[in-house]
Amino acid sequence: MSGEPILSVRDLVVEFRTEHGTVRAVDRVSFDVFPNETVGLVGESGCGKTVTGLAILGLIPNPPGRIASGSIRLAGRELVGLPEGELRKLRGREMAMIFQEPMTALNPVFTIGSQMIDILRRYKGLSRGQARAAAIELLAKVGIPAPAQRIDEYPHQLSGGMRQRVVIAMALSCDPKLIVADEPTTALDVTTQAQVLEQIVRLQQEFRMAMILVTHDLGVVAETCQRALVMYCGRVAEKADIAPLFAHPRHPYTAGLLQSLPRVGQQAHQDLPVIPGMVPDLLDLPAGCRFAERCARRDARCDRELPELDGEADSPSRVACFHPL
Amino acid sequence: MTPLLEVRNLKKHFPVRGGLLRRVVAQVRAVDGVSFSLAAGQTLGLVGESGCGKSTLGRAILQLQRPTSGEVLLDGTELTTLDPRGLHAMRRSMQIIFQDPYASLSPRRTVAQTIREPLEVHGIGTPAERERRVEELLGVVGMRTAVMDRYPHEFSGGQRQRIGIARALALDPKLIVADEPVSALDVSVRAQVLNLIARLQREMGIAFLFISHDLSVVEHVSDRVGVMYLGRIVEMAPAQELYRQPRHPYTEALLSAVPVPDPTRKARRIVLGGDVPSPMNPPPGCPFHLRCPKVMETCRSVTPPVVEVGTSGASHQVACHLHA
Amino acid sequence: MTETTTRRQSLWSKAAWKLRRDRFGMLGLAVVAAYFLAAVGVWLGLWATGWGDVAGGKWEAPSAAHWFGTNLIGQDIFQRSIYSISTAFEIGLVVAVLSTLLGAVLGAVAGFFSGRATDELVVWLMGVLDSIPFYLLVAAIAFALEGNPWSMHVAMISTFWITTARLVRGEVIKLKGLEFVEAAHAIGVPEYTIIFRHILPNTFHILLVQSTITFVAAIKSEVILSFLGLGVKDGMSWGLMISESTFEVLAGFFNNFLAASVLMFGLVMAFSIFSDALQDALDPRQVS
Repeated sequence: MSGEPILSVRDLVVEFRTEHGTVRAVDRVSFDVFPNETVGLVGESGCGKTVTGLAILGLIPNPPGRIASGSIRLAGRELVGLPEGELRKLRGREMAMIFQEPMTALNPVFTIGSQMIDILRRYKGLSRGQARAAAIELLAKVGIPAPAQRIDEYPHQLSGGMRQRVVIAMALSCDPKLIVADEPTTALDVTTQAQVLEQIVRLQQEFRMAMILVTHDLGVVAETCQRALVMYCGRVAEKADIAPLFAHPRHPYTAGLLQSLPRVGQQAHQDLPVIPGMVPDLLDLPAGCRFAERCARRDARCDRELPELDGEADSPSRVACFHPL
Repeated sequence: MTPLLEVRNLKKHFPVRGGLLRRVVAQVRAVDGVSFSLAAGQTLGLVGESGCGKSTLGRAILQLQRPTSGEVLLDGTELTTLDPRGLHAMRRSMQIIFQDPYASLSPRRTVAQTIREPLEVHGIGTPAERERRVEELLGVVGMRTAVMDRYPHEFSGGQRQRIGIARALALDPKLIVADEPVSALDVSVRAQVLNLIARLQREMGIAFLFISHDLSVVEHVSDRVGVMYLGRIVEMAPAQELYRQPRHPYTEALLSAVPVPDPTRKARRIVLGGDVPSPMNPPPGCPFHLRCPKVMETCRSVTPPVVEVGTSGASHQVACHLHA
Repeated sequence: MTETTTRRQSLWSKAAWKLRRDRFGMLGLAVVAAYFLAAVGVWLGLWATGWGDVAGGKWEAPSAAHWFGTNLIGQDIFQRSIYSISTAFEIGLVVAVLSTLLGAVLGAVAGFFSGRATDELVVWLMGVLDSIPFYLLVAAIAFALEGNPWSMHVAMISTFWITTARLVRGEVIKLKGLEFVEAAHAIGVPEYTIIFRHILPNTFHILLVQSTITFVAAIKSEVILSFLGLGVKDGMSWGLMISESTFEVLAGFFNNFLAASVLMFGLVMAFSIFSDALQDALDPRQVS
């Protein structure tokens, strides 16, 4: 990746207030996203990947949540601390989000056409006729057959895969610089997921957008992303280009995750290697490395100190571990 | 060897009512003529996409939803025509594990109450014996007995799934239907639960009908795998053979669609067009012909028969005109 | 294998936490508690024992002896209005508990067998009872039971259970599709055991809120029914006091009317606020 990053996140901390105290859902996360690349945020539930995505778009529900510190710069402009009105404008034009459940982004009582036309008129200043033509073109781009007819249908008339395509079309409608996709294909069937993923990759290249793909599925990351951040308990465990990440994972957690996946055509009927134990409670975190309790390489230092990412800030591969593989 | 479970031409149709008089206007053919057999101690995997009828099939076998027609023989006993008392007795031999660990346990019952209930309902043992059995079962699924008086909300998804498995094991069943048992779990916990299921099967000789949309998980646990599409099994073969030599175009497409966690293997993917048709009015002929990349003229009108294509001695059945 | 349990909170402790943070709700609860203490005192014979005695002259003004003055025949209004608190609680509790029980059982059975004959019967019964005007029904029951002191309770219960039953029926239809109910079927648990052991306990939040709402409704209905002569037969209640006061108000004497209505307003208001707070705290959509 060359040139200036589109998005630059530095030491982001997001906290949530609960009845038992404050939970740090995202703990000093830093990364860059460059134009025309897809960065994966991977991890298990509760690791902070979705919260990171929401924080970038200024969608952390406040209260109970808030961005406690850190900086998020979109094309050089600081987003943390920006008033809600400004953020809302940016969410339309500069960045967009695709959610796991397409129905949350679609209003069931309006046709998909009228929802898309609204957006196009509001943000691009098109006339009604122009907006309709643009909407049909977008629907065709995301692979909806017979878009001129489909545009007048209601969300419930479409299948899950078609709905997610419509949501993608809506996200694309204002040529955003950045798209955050949160588990965009998790609710879809395997064959539909394959269609939608292919579409996402193609569109990302065609529109030369930057994309953040939030997912728990390492297979999806391997097939769509150029780089990925593996998160655990709110922190970045490892950050690397895709090929080395999968071939030579350096963090024991990444390695454990990859090994514990059953794969088609392999290892049938043997026990899977497992990561023992479970994710610690965010309210009751260990003092040292958060993965220590489940880690085979742990020693006394891991229990005492919290490892930081090694290497230079801009080095392609960084790991937060005292004893990396 | 007589199979433990034999399913013959099983159908489950749901009537769709409409109009002023609530007459039956259509039938959803959720399961539309499924036959297979499962030997004791074996695992049959069932894969398919949502709406293919795999969950309904599992419930129809257990008579949780009474089938529309067809036969289900468990240990030689025909279940579909059994009276309530006979069925109650047969429930000791067949159990189910569910997908959603948050919905599958009664929220206001303790762990011990939940696991003990099947023993009470079937009058097994004295209260003291039941207590010991609950402790033993918790040990089997890898939990401490100290958790007995806790409520489900105090546990994580993986732990709840273990409790659900302990409940299913309480009656020493011969058959367990596992309906997406790991789909709701995180990757690192998923492997733990899969290993537990594999161990139970090895050590207790329980037969599993393992239902999942996740092909890699199914292959990992199954001896044989059946692929379902629109209420029918379109292909069934030994697990390895199915994955190495899929014969049905749908199986091929399904296999190629699985995202592989290996960036060096850029997939030669068969991307299917369109969506699964509604089971309310399935297309004539082969149910898959609308999306099939290898569709022929006969596929549009003639339902393909199930044919045997096995070469290695083990049965490999496929319902496709390409092999007819 | 670790078995450290996660600190996931139960619905109840979360609800209690939310309720405690609701200042109005807690104030409402405190006021209700004060009223309840007053009622307990009456039941124990600690105060308001002289509510029936003629202790003074007609329409005396408030004084140290008679805080709220006296009524037409010289009875102490303060004692009468305090005594009425116990009547209100008696009626409220009996009606709330019994109609909630009835609604829970019928609603649960109907919901569990939804679409079958049992359900159709219950739904039909609810429709029929709903379509009869409330006061007509009460009058009919009062007439049929001929001066029975419980006729008012019977009348209220026979209509108040309907709302509870409707809510419970809907919740049960939702719950019976959940996997833990399917698991109970798979084990072979008898149907009625499933209803009462596995399903009904999960509608408890609805029953709790409904019983507080029914409590308030019963107190309010008592006043109107007693005023119409269909209510409390022996004893004293706010409804009877207001009924008595009709002549007095015309004559320009308001003490009896004010004492009954202000005390009733206080209890109804406090209970309604508490009930709203309880509902907010127990709403699973807000508790998540």
